[in-house]
Amino acid sequence: MKKPGLKFYKSAAVVLTLIFVGMQISSPDIENPPVTSEIVAPADVKQILERACYDCHSNEAKVEWFDKIAPASFLIKRDIEEARSRFNFSEWDKNPAGVQELLLWEMVNAIEQGKMPLKRYQLAHPGGKVSESELAVLKKYVNTLPGRHKVDTARIVAQPSSSQKVSTPKTPVSLNGIPYSADYKNWKIISVTDKFDGGSMRIVYGNDIMVKAIGKRQLPFPDGARIVKVVWGKQAEDKEGNVLPGNFQNAQFMIKDSKKYSTTEGWGFAKFDGLDLKPAGKTILFEQTCANCHRLLAPENDFVFNVPTK
Amino acid sequence: MKSTISLYIIALPLLMLSCDDRNTAQLAPEYLYDAGNQKVIKSIINNKKGTIAMLYGNDLALENASKSLPKPNIGANYTLVTWKQKPMPQWYGTKMNGEIYSVEHLKVVQRNATQFAFDYDFQTGKGYQPGDGRPEEQQRIKFITSQRAAVFP
Ligand code: HEC
Ligand code: HEC
Repeated sequence: MKKPGLKFYKSAAVVLTLIFVGMQISSPDIENPPVTSEIVAPADVKQILERACYDCHSNEAKVEWFDKIAPASFLIKRDIEEARSRFNFSEWDKNPAGVQELLLWEMVNAIEQGKMPLKRYQLAHPGGKVSESELAVLKKYVNTLPGRHKVDTARIVAQPSSSQKVSTPKTPVSLNGIPYSADYKNWKIISVTDKFDGGSMRIVYGNDIMVKAIGKRQLPFPDGARIVKVVWGKQAEDKEGNVLPGNFQNAQFMIKDSKKYSTTEGWGFAKFDGLDLKPAGKTILFEQTCANCHRLLAPENDFVFNVPTK
Repeated sequence: MKSTISLYIIALPLLMLSCDDRNTAQLAPEYLYDAGNQKVIKSIINNKKGTIAMLYGNDLALENASKSLPKPNIGANYTLVTWKQKPMPQWYGTKMNGEIYSVEHLKVVQRNATQFAFDYDFQTGKGYQPGDGRPEEQQRIKFITSQRAAVFP
């Protein structure tokens, strides 16, 4: 067989150069839309977010020259678009206050678990990492947010208001088709929690398939596993230190069916708010918000936080 | 500077490959408590003691906890399971149940034709330290029987 000659290498080099140049022509520009409502936070907190997160999660991305070269530019553009769609520090008021708080706690967790800033970004931008002492600053800050010490002082309501009761006699159904069902009241408890970030306490139930899987230390959890988390406000602490459940807030479901719910990591998510069990979310996209957080932070447990672990 | 770009480009496929070796959690079923047929009455947090508890009961106990009865139902059985709190491994912001600290059983029994009595029992779990005192029985009886059931939809 004849070895490829000089001519071959020359034409290959020309083709590659053309491809590279072609890529540069089509290389996307990263645009910075106007800043409409920037996050307000103490200076030391803001400085950390600006340095480590703003390049993707804001409209003030500082794109370095090397980030503008294809194919890196394509990846960076995609990362920035995805990051902004999750939350944008420059359009912070698009989120209701409660969501803003939850996002800040999620940020602390994403950093603590080494998930953010993205590893590929840290490699290209060596100054991007958040240090232990900076994480401590952020932790201290989230502990000052209003939800942190929220106490449910309202009178405890045991029945949905009568008008709602008459108008919604049928079973509430989540936008993705998951109906509310009270079966969980006969299931076993897999976890009990004090969620101090938003001031609530929770009981988490697992059906037989779920409880058996935990017993057998089986991960990922099998199809048919079901989890229901019931959430209450927290009453004021008594003299002995006891904190008791206040008003019912919501019930959240996770149903494992790896085929049916393949776009949300095999789990069907549903949430029913208040005693009238109003299905949460405005569009079916709500389930992606649920899955995004569970996917980012609990992949080791098949995306379930509330499991007993060593 | 050039090396940073190539780093970015080389790092990508490597990272994508390495994503698969995610470590799997070690499940600890020994932290679960099987309350049999008893139903949930409520959960109770105690940050002074660093514990979190579940109060369960049979139907008669649940009725005691749901209505204001003049005297407790005879035959009511309660179970109060208390765990040591531990931070939730994947979420800074939540404390969850860790090792079982104690299991208390309380029965309302008939003493004679007109009176009832309480049968109370305190068992320790793995999270209980030998130096930890035992709770005062009368106080615990009062605490358990005075609990109102959490509101469910
Ligand atoms: C290189 C771009 C980039 C940087 C820098 C970056 N992120 Fe992200 N972030 C993303 C992308 C992309 C996603 C979407 C999820 C994914 O791809 O993992 C995301 C998702 C998240 C989420 C999950 C949001 C959700 O939908 O639930 C959190 C929280 C987060 N980032 C926090 C941070 C914090 C805090 C910083 C700074 C310390 C940071 N990110 C820096 C790109 C970035
Ligand atoms: C910002 C992150 C985040 C978002 C968004 C989120 N969750 Fe969760 N979820 C958690 C955390 C953290 C826990 C465990 C903490 C706790 O329950 O105290 C949890 C627990 C749960 C549980 C109990 C099982 C488990 O994984 O521990 C269910 C069920 C659940 N979530 C459903 C939902 C549904 C339905 C949605 C969307 C409507 C949703 N979650 C959105 C973070 C999130």
